[in-house]
Amino acid sequence: MNARETAWRLFSTELNSATFEIKATEEKKPSYQLSRLGAMINRVLIVGVLTEKENVGTPDEPLWRGRIQDVASGTVFINVGRYQPEAGAALAELEPPCLVAMVGKVKSYTTEDQRTFVSVRPEHIVTVDEQVQHAWLLEAAQSTWDRLVLMKKALHCGDRTAEGLEKAGFPATACKGLSLAIETYGEEPDSASYLKAVQAALRTLLPDKNVDLGLPEDLSESPDEVDIEPAAAKGATEDMEETVLGLLDELDTDGKGAPREDLEKRAEAEGISSMELEEISNSLMDKGLVYEPNLRYLKKI
Amino acid sequence: MEKEEFAPVIKELMTQLAGKATEGQVAKDLDRFVNTYGVTLTAAKNGILKKYGATGRSGGSFVSGNAIIKKITELKGTEMNVDVTGKAIFSEKKEITARGVGKTIVSGILGDDTGTIPFTVWNDMEINKGECYTFRGAYTKKWNDQVQLNIGIRGKVEPAPDAKFTVPSNAGGSTAPVLKIGAITEKTRNTTVTGKLLSVDPRNITVKGEPKTVYGGLIADDTGKIQYTAWNDFKLETGATYTVKNAYIRSWKGIPQLNLGDRCEVARSDAEIKVAADKNTRRTVAEIMKTGGGLDFELTGLIVDLRSGSGLIGRCPQCNRTVLNGECRTHGKVEPIMDLRLKTTIDDGTGAISVVIGRADTEKLTGISLTDAQKMAADVSTTAVENKMAAAVLTKQITVRGNVMSDDFGPQLNARSVELKPVDITAAAEKLYGEVEANL
Repeated sequence: MNARETAWRLFSTELNSATFEIKATEEKKPSYQLSRLGAMINRVLIVGVLTEKENVGTPDEPLWRGRIQDVASGTVFINVGRYQPEAGAALAELEPPCLVAMVGKVKSYTTEDQRTFVSVRPEHIVTVDEQVQHAWLLEAAQSTWDRLVLMKKALHCGDRTAEGLEKAGFPATACKGLSLAIETYGEEPDSASYLKAVQAALRTLLPDKNVDLGLPEDLSESPDEVDIEPAAAKGATEDMEETVLGLLDELDTDGKGAPREDLEKRAEAEGISSMELEEISNSLMDKGLVYEPNLRYLKKI
Repeated sequence: MEKEEFAPVIKELMTQLAGKATEGQVAKDLDRFVNTYGVTLTAAKNGILKKYGATGRSGGSFVSGNAIIKKITELKGTEMNVDVTGKAIFSEKKEITARGVGKTIVSGILGDDTGTIPFTVWNDMEINKGECYTFRGAYTKKWNDQVQLNIGIRGKVEPAPDAKFTVPSNAGGSTAPVLKIGAITEKTRNTTVTGKLLSVDPRNITVKGEPKTVYGGLIADDTGKIQYTAWNDFKLETGATYTVKNAYIRSWKGIPQLNLGDRCEVARSDAEIKVAADKNTRRTVAEIMKTGGGLDFELTGLIVDLRSGSGLIGRCPQCNRTVLNGECRTHGKVEPIMDLRLKTTIDDGTGAISVVIGRADTEKLTGISLTDAQKMAADVSTTAVENKMAAAVLTKQITVRGNVMSDDFGPQLNARSVELKPVDITAAAEKLYGEVEANL
């Protein structure tokens, strides 16, 4: 008997970077996406704001795409097909923006040039209130932190095989994922991005406390601080915005806008990471310079 | 195989067939079995004996010639024909009734240097405690995850006076490990526990046609509670504390139960037992998966799924089971009694477990009463009831309490009580903040 896979509570930063797929070796066994912190993810529970939805199928056979922003870190992409009729029916009724909780299976998709995108196929999606969101933020922050601690400990171990870690006293269920993650992604996971998500969650949960984990600040998150930043840093952001605007002109060949995938690829060639690109496109959208005609495109106004 | 090689085999078969077939028939059959169909010699011999209806199998050479020799811990529970030598640690005769005929069998425990195994010899013979024996042509079976050694009609037991064994002390009847009640799982065999008796109820049952009184109830320590059955009158009293030596565990649907049998010693204990408070029966799903089942567990998690069979259901007025399209599986067409229930999956981040919630708590959680549900089912459909309930409960965090049972579909908790217990998020977040800051 296969035990039902647990629904991981994690932030989009960890989910979207879980690009390595552990394929099922036997029939009827689950496959997993491996996170950089060693979570073997088959199913997730995400609570956040449904920011957009779009039917890319037909009215009779809808195929929904959408985005959920988890407040703490970024965006989770969702795809609802005909094998998720319940979630499809629920999504059809939802009017973004709204706060939702979603349970679903994680899928990945690799492009021809070996870029992997992680998305979720919801099994259930329902609107929730702030109470549920806060409970989720707490669980996600706690479990992210627990994984960070475990990963850090594992990196200090001499024997990092699953058996070695289990012998060293690591929880039996975590060993395989930890060991594989170290092997697959290398020694140092970018803990700052995960801590940033934890920090953002704690800030939402503890508005009266000045939660500060001493991390480099996120530009889009705290606009007040942008003003006091050194001119050089600000200049760099503006330069990147210019570059992105330039790329948009170049890539918008048919008037539909620039395909996001191509944009990301080109931006990376210009030294702009996908995280930075996300920030820049958000800020450009805030400024009213660009918009998204649909999910996969970005277009200059 | 060549003709010459068959000769001794044919001779062996002829002895066993005792004139039931001619040598020519046997030779022809053997050739067909081995050379035409490529079966093994053992299988060919068996086939030929079957064909001509040989009876003299227990002649010895046939069985022992093919048996393999194994140490006790090497036994897997699938052996058909095996030789084992060991010391009888315990042995007793039992009267049983097999197919209406009374019969004496011998059962006990056999030990060698590697471990111990329970055995049963299915006919009457003398096996003395402390002496060594070779069990020839034995077969093994698995019962309750425990391998057992059997001597049936084709096997025999021979004294092995020269054998010497040092049986590991952790095994055998006398030294059952001391366990806390919370640590007992369905895989536990024998154990010694100390606990406070919460209840004693005499039950009259019939064993082998004779009336007998057994005593059942609950015993608890600071880690948990367990149901027990005392098969003899140990003069148990409610509220007293006992040390129960050498009790054995039997599981019913994954719930371990303590049995106080013939070999059990019960003594009063002065130990101060604090009966498990509620928080001690709190479990995560991962912990429940490990033990399989148990009494009175509490668990907090999110409802992540609502399975079919939830919402408005009909029950058979005779057996209370669910009715499909007005028909009970046992009682046919019935007028069902309507009821509400939720078959949920609860996930706490460590795992997921099936939790069944009854009518009162379903009404509380969904805000839909049975009358509302019946009206909605009549106006729209029962599916509408289910959908509305799903929307009301999905991703809600609940704390449930009840017994956990396991079957082929995994563990399931039958909720006796359900609470929507809001967690103090601020306090927990502050704790996490402190932890993160201290460890950066």
